[in-house]
Amino acid sequence: MAAPNGGLINETNQQYYAGSQIIMAAGAELSLVYTFDEPLKLYSGTSWSPLDSDHYQNNFIFEYSPNGLAPYPEYTIDFKIANNTITRVDGLAFDAGFYRVRLRETNYGSYIGISLNEIINNFIVAYVGDGKLIPSVKRTDVLFHAKRGMQEFSYDTLRSVKQQELSVPNNLSIILPQDYVNYVKISRVDALGVKHIIYPTRLTSNPTEMPIQEIDTGAPIQDQYANNLQGTPIIEENWANADDKRITGTYDPNFQNAQINANTWNGNTVGQRYGLNPETSNMNGWFTINNREGKISFSSNLVGSLIIFEYISDGLAYDADTVVPKMAEEALYAHIAYSILAGRVNVPEYIVQRYKRDRSAKLRNTKIRLSNIKLEEITQVMRNKSKWIKH
Amino acid sequence: MAVSVDTVYRTVLLIMNKESRGYLTPDEYNKIAEQVQFEMFNEYFEDLNQQLRVPENDSEYSNRVKNLEEKLALFKTTPKAAIYNPGGYFNLPTPPVQSAQETFTSVVGQAAYAFQVLQASEVASGTLQVFYDGVLKTEGADYTISPGGGFINLIPPAMGVFTINVVLYQNDFYKLGTVIYDNKIEIERLNRNNFLYINMSDLTKPNENNPIFIFEENKLYVYPDSIINNVTANYLRKPISPVWSFTVNQGYVYDPINSVDFELQPTEQTSLITRILLYAGVVVRDPQLVQLAAGQIQNEKVNEKS
Repeated sequence: MAAPNGGLINETNQQYYAGSQIIMAAGAELSLVYTFDEPLKLYSGTSWSPLDSDHYQNNFIFEYSPNGLAPYPEYTIDFKIANNTITRVDGLAFDAGFYRVRLRETNYGSYIGISLNEIINNFIVAYVGDGKLIPSVKRTDVLFHAKRGMQEFSYDTLRSVKQQELSVPNNLSIILPQDYVNYVKISRVDALGVKHIIYPTRLTSNPTEMPIQEIDTGAPIQDQYANNLQGTPIIEENWANADDKRITGTYDPNFQNAQINANTWNGNTVGQRYGLNPETSNMNGWFTINNREGKISFSSNLVGSLIIFEYISDGLAYDADTVVPKMAEEALYAHIAYSILAGRVNVPEYIVQRYKRDRSAKLRNTKIRLSNIKLEEITQVMRNKSKWIKH
Repeated sequence: MAVSVDTVYRTVLLIMNKESRGYLTPDEYNKIAEQVQFEMFNEYFEDLNQQLRVPENDSEYSNRVKNLEEKLALFKTTPKAAIYNPGGYFNLPTPPVQSAQETFTSVVGQAAYAFQVLQASEVASGTLQVFYDGVLKTEGADYTISPGGGFINLIPPAMGVFTINVVLYQNDFYKLGTVIYDNKIEIERLNRNNFLYINMSDLTKPNENNPIFIFEENKLYVYPDSIINNVTANYLRKPISPVWSFTVNQGYVYDPINSVDFELQPTEQTSLITRILLYAGVVVRDPQLVQLAAGQIQNEKVNEKS
């Protein structure tokens, strides 16, 4: 691969693949300029020291070797950094030798995206100014619409699905992640690592309030602060204790106390069970969203199971989230332009409509692109369907 | 390249035909010249605003927006560091070039010293540095300046003989331009009421990637509060007042060394002359001259804006 030569790639192969850059100093250099895309940051004024308790929070390690050969021990003289330029605090020159910066985290695959800040800057450059449809705009307005666009795109367009591997604990509930917006899919994973989808159930739900009632009238009872006293959730407890075989109809010769699937009845009716409901007749279990506690509750048969929890966030939860796939870049520009023009006075309606259609078309394109529909993959799947596909 | 203050003066006198209409003294001329230069400078902003609202042409020398930008370019400063004040704001960049200075020799027991060289109004509006025998002193602790700018008061009164050197940095700030953080991020200007709402929204709350500032009492309040350095600002400075300096030798003799030319572009020479003539006509009470100049100015405006 070519070295950076003025294109969009600024890092060398060593910077990208090894996450490091070595600068050779002759002995007179007062500063060492590194060219990582990622800004090098010291966590604090003292965290340069390998002995400092916050040293591990720096996003890089600064090392020195007098001859360029391993080992590269950490540099132990007080230094500071600004704009990826390292200088000694005492103002002296660096000794002759080889100075290596190693990133603690690599940025593999970062070329697929563009940061939200770049989107905002690019938008202001290309869409705002004299002689353009948007003569002037506050950066905060662009920021707002860009972030809102990012949120909307995250919900149904971007591949922003996050996955957590979890075990269902004894209380059958897992806490919703901090950046949870909606679930995509929850699956039980068997011993082979194959996913089995767990469906939400309509058979039960998690009440949001459980007021303690007066026995005679049924009226809720209040505490000294005039709020309703809350009881314990009996429904959830029952659901947690429920034997799922009574719901799924699973045949079990040892199931002596079955009500809908009694052994005697079942034994006489093997092969004659009609009207099974796919929603309930599976052994994968169910889940409900418990909004009261901010948890997901699972059916009792899943205790101890390994699950994959796939959910979407809004793309803004953490700084690292705020990366827009390049395939959605144009759609986000269109979204910002439309949102700004639609909210302005004296913009002719035909302009607004033009930008609305523009946004819609670009968003559709983005969805198609990000769907990753490949002809060969479809063909391979459809071969299983005993159909002749010409390609 | 500037417009020669002498050329303009001579042309004005020529057109006035001083023998028949009266004479415009250098002092009158200097005052009118300053007024006219500032007037024309101020009009650039409105003209530019007007021209930005009409379609531009792509010609090399007749693009009005470009021409106006060129006229203003001379007064645009490059970004200079704004100084953080522990009070939580940044002061505007201090002009780097001193405009004048005055030296006193202290008298034992004397506290107040009246400025003779420095103009009181300039002292009041400018920034001072005061040195006692070359040592920089602090305003408030070592000295104060009288409210009108006419005196410096030593704290305490002089207890010995030393040299007081007062250096004046003329406050040439006129309009604030772009405020920049870390040499790459533009800090957005907001009004206080907008800031309150923007600060309350999680989506728009200022951060180091999207900082904002409020400009009040000539101070920059930058948010987020974590920004306490690396703030620069450029601004538009005021034009330096033109001065037609002279020596007296059987009349007024032009002194090119102490004179200050107009700072406007050479293309403005004819406009300068016409406008000075207008005021000169008022000074010498010549309606014909006023009418002639006013008509000429009107024609120019119509031509420039139609």
